Amino acid sequence: MLTWNELLPLVPETFLLGATLLLLIVDLFVSQQRRGLTHFLAIVILVLTAILTARPHPEAQQAFGGMFIRDGFADLLKLGILVTAIAVFVYAKPYLKPRGLFQGEFYVLCLTGVLGMMLMVSAGNLIMIYLGLALLALSSYALVALNRDSPQSSESAMKYFVLGALASGMLLYGMSMLYGATGTLDLSRIHGAAEIARHDQRMLLLFGLVFVVVGLAFKFGAAPFHMWLPDVYQGSPTAVTLFIASAPKIAAFGMAWRLLEGGLASLASDWQGMLAVLALLSLAIGNLVAIAQTNLKRMLAYSTISHVGFLLLGLLAGTKEGYAAAMFYALTYAITTAAAFGMIVLLSRADFEAEEIDDFKGLNQRNGWYAGMMLMVMASLAGVPIWVGFIAKLAVLQAAVPEFLWLAIAGGVFAVIGSFYYLRVIKVMYFDPPASPDPLVVPADVPFRFVLSANSLLLLGLGIASGPLWAWCLAVVPS
Amino acid sequence: MTALPLLLALPFVAALALAALPRLSRTAAALVAGAATLGGLALLGGMAGAVADGEVLRFKLDWLPSLGLAFSLRVDGLAWMFAAIVLGIGALVVLYARWYLADEDPPARFFAMLSLFMGAMLGVTLAGNLLLLVVFWELTSISSFLLIGFWHRRADARAGARMALTITGMGGLCLLAGVLLIGRIAGSFELDVVLAAGEAIRAHALYEPALALVLLGAFTKSAQFPFHSWLPHAMAAPTPVSAYLHSATMVKAGVFLIARLHPALAGSEAWFWMVVPVGLATLVVGAALALVQQDLKGLLAYSTISHLGLITLLFGLDTELAVVAGVFHILNHATFKASLFMAAGIIDHETGSRDFRRLNGLWKHMPVTGALAIVASLAMAGVPLLNGFLSKEMFLAETLATESHALMEFLVPAGALVAGIFAVAYSLRFVHDVFFNGEPVGLDRVPHEPPRFMRVPVEVLVVLCLVVGMFPQHTIGPLLALGVQGVLQGPAPEYKLAIWHGFNLPLALSAIGLVGGVALYFGLQRGINLHRIERASTGKRVFDALVRRLVDLARRVTRALENGSLQRYLLLLVLAAVVLGGAPLLEAGPGFGDPPGTPAGIAGWLALALLVAGVLAVLRWYRERLLAVIAVGVVGLAVSLLFVLLSAPDLALTQLLVEVASVLLILLALRFLPQQSPPERRRGRAWLHGVVAGAFGAGVATAVYAVLTRPTRSISDYFLRTTVPEGGGANAVNVIIVDYRGFDTLGEIAVFGIAGLLLHALLRGRAGVPGTLVPPQPARPAFLLQVSAQVLLPLAIAVSLYLFLRGHNAPGGGFIAGLVLALGVALQALAAGREALGAPDGRTWQAWIAWGLVVATLGGIGSFLFGHPFLTSSTPYVDLPLVGAVPFASATVFDTGVYLVVAGATLLMLAMLARVHAQAGDR
Repeated sequence: MLTWNELLPLVPETFLLGATLLLLIVDLFVSQQRRGLTHFLAIVILVLTAILTARPHPEAQQAFGGMFIRDGFADLLKLGILVTAIAVFVYAKPYLKPRGLFQGEFYVLCLTGVLGMMLMVSAGNLIMIYLGLALLALSSYALVALNRDSPQSSESAMKYFVLGALASGMLLYGMSMLYGATGTLDLSRIHGAAEIARHDQRMLLLFGLVFVVVGLAFKFGAAPFHMWLPDVYQGSPTAVTLFIASAPKIAAFGMAWRLLEGGLASLASDWQGMLAVLALLSLAIGNLVAIAQTNLKRMLAYSTISHVGFLLLGLLAGTKEGYAAAMFYALTYAITTAAAFGMIVLLSRADFEAEEIDDFKGLNQRNGWYAGMMLMVMASLAGVPIWVGFIAKLAVLQAAVPEFLWLAIAGGVFAVIGSFYYLRVIKVMYFDPPASPDPLVVPADVPFRFVLSANSLLLLGLGIASGPLWAWCLAVVPS
Repeated sequence: MTALPLLLALPFVAALALAALPRLSRTAAALVAGAATLGGLALLGGMAGAVADGEVLRFKLDWLPSLGLAFSLRVDGLAWMFAAIVLGIGALVVLYARWYLADEDPPARFFAMLSLFMGAMLGVTLAGNLLLLVVFWELTSISSFLLIGFWHRRADARAGARMALTITGMGGLCLLAGVLLIGRIAGSFELDVVLAAGEAIRAHALYEPALALVLLGAFTKSAQFPFHSWLPHAMAAPTPVSAYLHSATMVKAGVFLIARLHPALAGSEAWFWMVVPVGLATLVVGAALALVQQDLKGLLAYSTISHLGLITLLFGLDTELAVVAGVFHILNHATFKASLFMAAGIIDHETGSRDFRRLNGLWKHMPVTGALAIVASLAMAGVPLLNGFLSKEMFLAETLATESHALMEFLVPAGALVAGIFAVAYSLRFVHDVFFNGEPVGLDRVPHEPPRFMRVPVEVLVVLCLVVGMFPQHTIGPLLALGVQGVLQGPAPEYKLAIWHGFNLPLALSAIGLVGGVALYFGLQRGINLHRIERASTGKRVFDALVRRLVDLARRVTRALENGSLQRYLLLLVLAAVVLGGAPLLEAGPGFGDPPGTPAGIAGWLALALLVAGVLAVLRWYRERLLAVIAVGVVGLAVSLLFVLLSAPDLALTQLLVEVASVLLILLALRFLPQQSPPERRRGRAWLHGVVAGAFGAGVATAVYAVLTRPTRSISDYFLRTTVPEGGGANAVNVIIVDYRGFDTLGEIAVFGIAGLLLHALLRGRAGVPGTLVPPQPARPAFLLQVSAQVLLPLAIAVSLYLFLRGHNAPGGGFIAGLVLALGVALQALAAGREALGAPDGRTWQAWIAWGLVVATLGGIGSFLFGHPFLTSSTPYVDLPLVGAVPFASATVFDTGVYLVVAGATLLMLAMLARVHAQAGDR
């Protein structure tokens, strides 16, 4: 029987759900001139959810008979998701407004997506994982198609939907195999059953594992299941790319951890091999193909793929340090990407998307401050020492050495190849003459400017003072 | 110990200050940078006493303890010596650059970068933690990239900067990997621990990979063969940068690292064989190539490469005396090479050219600079009374003492001799070609001596060369001893710093080198005229080709994988999944069980044949849309036939009706499309798709067979046993739908209703997007259909009600009944026109959906009245005339809701499609 105590761990999610539904109704009665209210309320909802999440609570609670788990691990990831989502909302506004996309749908869909992510990282049961995933995925499909009049947008949404449906199908198929082999959907019980599995059950488990990994890889955007990513990144309105590219990586990590470590730890030697292949392919394809891109959004998409490769390096180590490293990587990567796409928003105008790398030509002459901010973002993505990207890479590589030495070296080599295209952006900004000599017109939105600058500087600050976040990651990963 | 962090912080503070004040004048900017450098020197001087006493100064601040990363600084003799080079030469370079920079160069930016580099380099030398060392190492790569590319409008500067960064950056990452390994082996990244763990490291299984990785980092940084080619191209940098980075400091970082980790890594076969050949090859190749350069700085760059090879070789020989020689040569080379670079810069500055073919006879115009350059060149050649001679003698002595494989015992001294000859020859060329050998060619100005203070740094360095060369024991002795102690982490061996060691073999080799070099130079000058040699850099060509290949490859991969086609993506996704999924199967086999015992029977085979025929028909007529849809319908019918044969009448009925309804809906939608779909562009594509589809089908079939033939305990017994006592119905399927899984069904019909409403929302008020729809052909009235529909509709309603009511015990139920009703109405509409479908805006059916949901929910809530949870059913039976005993389970109320929603949603879709038809026809 449901009791009040059972629902306590769910307070942040319940609040988010209720408030989102309320926002949906409130938005109906807000005129287009006063849409700012929706924007404001959406951010307030996220802030309040974050406060509810951050409130101290007894260790590791469960709800619905283990379906939903609230522990430090989930809380940290949720805070990461919420903070990133707040930044996304702030960055999105100056983009949406001049394009006639400044509507309640964007906010409501993003909020439901956030709810889905929160469920994913808190899931203790295969069904809950799928529920969160589907909530996120469906919101994302609709978001990609937000600009209904753009054929490119619709095409991307269609591709995303078809491929996503296929991948979800495979994930479900894999889950059904896991259920078939263990007779339970509960992850901790799967864990127990997998440990004592007979040979033929193990076979079935392995078969299920493959498809679960396929589903995970698709959600991460790991090669060779990455094909949707560049098209969707490029085809979506930048505000939506901003959302899809950032927080869901955190959720995907959370989901992967719950499934692989929480449920299938006894198959570690099998999934480590699979993840190693995925990581290597992601590093190779992501970094290699990014070189050939002229479109910044597309380039960032391939860069995402390569970063996923790094993240997987930490995950596949299968140790406490490895998980903490992957967690650190996911969290810091999400805020780095948010800033990167924020920069694209900064440069775009009502009739101009600013998504080509050439659009950044001579940015230093047009506005030195924001060129510096973009430099921070690119340096962190490239993993230049003392930026947070370096610390994240260091942590991940440390976890992978020495068991996966060659993979780590391959990672290093591809990281160098990768630095090529980040450097190109910096080169273009500082060394190339601008297309138009006029100084940059920065959006008048004060929160936008403030958050974007703070976010970029944070990448440096977190690099120098990475101790607390790293300690937090280590503390919440159970040993 | 606060002086240590302060020492390191000074250059960074200067860099920040200079970056914040971009408009400073040249003098002011140089003063800021110079003050930081001199301040650093003073601090360093304060530590001299303690370090000389063998003390190791430490400072430690935790950064990320669990990752082993700590901000820890450590000064021993070696670190002190290197820091002294970095700061001492740095101070001279700052002075020099003050006069070197042109008016249009932004001085603050230059000095900021220079200070940044100085800080990074100091960091490398002072780091007490290997990870911290890597951090500063990478920072030197980056700041040198900025410095080389300082004149960023010049293409060669940009290309050179990029090449340097790529090669040294790649090396830096190898170093990182190596350091991670060493850290794992030693258990810590702290230098104190690592240096003490030499035994353990050398004994570890991962020693060789770790050593190779660390050496890769060092070799790339110190421009060792074959990674040397970035250094000549970095000569596009302003000359103060070359004097500082490419002679004294950054390129020495590699040999510094080798020296630093000497106690931890050296002393093994692997060390000898990895280090010595590379050093030897670099020594010879660099010296030979230096002779054929036409660029002043190019010659110096190759000479630097050669000398770095010499130092590497010495450390590779791995005797204590070789270490002494190596450290000594680091000091000497820094002195004479920096002064030569500065002299070259002066020449460039005052003549506007660095080309040997144009610069001749400058002695007349700049005798003082000439004299300084000549002395420095002689030091480079290793002429007695100069510092270069001393370390070279020690080097030759060590090569002769090599104890190893016979081949190496010959090759090492032989290589040293050849390199010595070349060194004399290129030094001679530097002197003879620039200052004598005729008149300048085509200079745009008359050369003259540089400003007074620009020459001061050169003078200081040249005086050092002389003094050290003549009185080594009293000048360089203590510093050298410090450095050697630092490298060896223990007392220095016995050695004698003297000019005269008596007549011995090294001296003879030196003499042969001198004579041979002079002969070689003048011989070549007479014979083939060095000016005519045009040589493109192989390294650059290889590097460029590699980069081009990489970009090409990137483009090709993009075209092959990421062409934007959804089909291609799906294909790759499915293939990848099949490969991944197949892997465990290959490993363990599919695990088939026994084949089923029940024979299929003739009817089964017939149904199967029908199914296959349907599929083949779809493939054959897939371009004829109408035929294809009907053929798909046939497949569905065959499936429902199979359900009948497998004794699942409910499933069969449902399948049948769903099939009919969906074919009907598709046909209605098809009227807006052309009759034929466009042809495939290529036949090969169709075959490819066929193969993929076939493979996927076979895979699924295998999996299904494997699942079906495994022994299972079916759950059907449980339901068959309990549906009557617990659910009050004999039709297990229906009882499951409305009772056991009632909540699921409620959700499902809600989804179904929403789908109907969505279609309504999409099609409401639009007759399609103009231009994209083909207007339907006007249909002839179908007389037979009209007549039969009149009869069929009432019959359909009756059957539907009958199926509904009996559903709890016999095949039927709300879902099936709802579909029957919808089909009846649809038939009527086809015959009599769309008026049969109710109000044109679909209001009727919306109401059905709404009421259906309300009824179903109420049916569930009803159980609350009896004190039971949601959707608990009770099972009284009611006798109805004609029908008989009808179960009046509360589930029946729920089923009514299902009935209403299914019929309503299906008919709503039909109505909306029909409406679009009508509107399209009107236009």
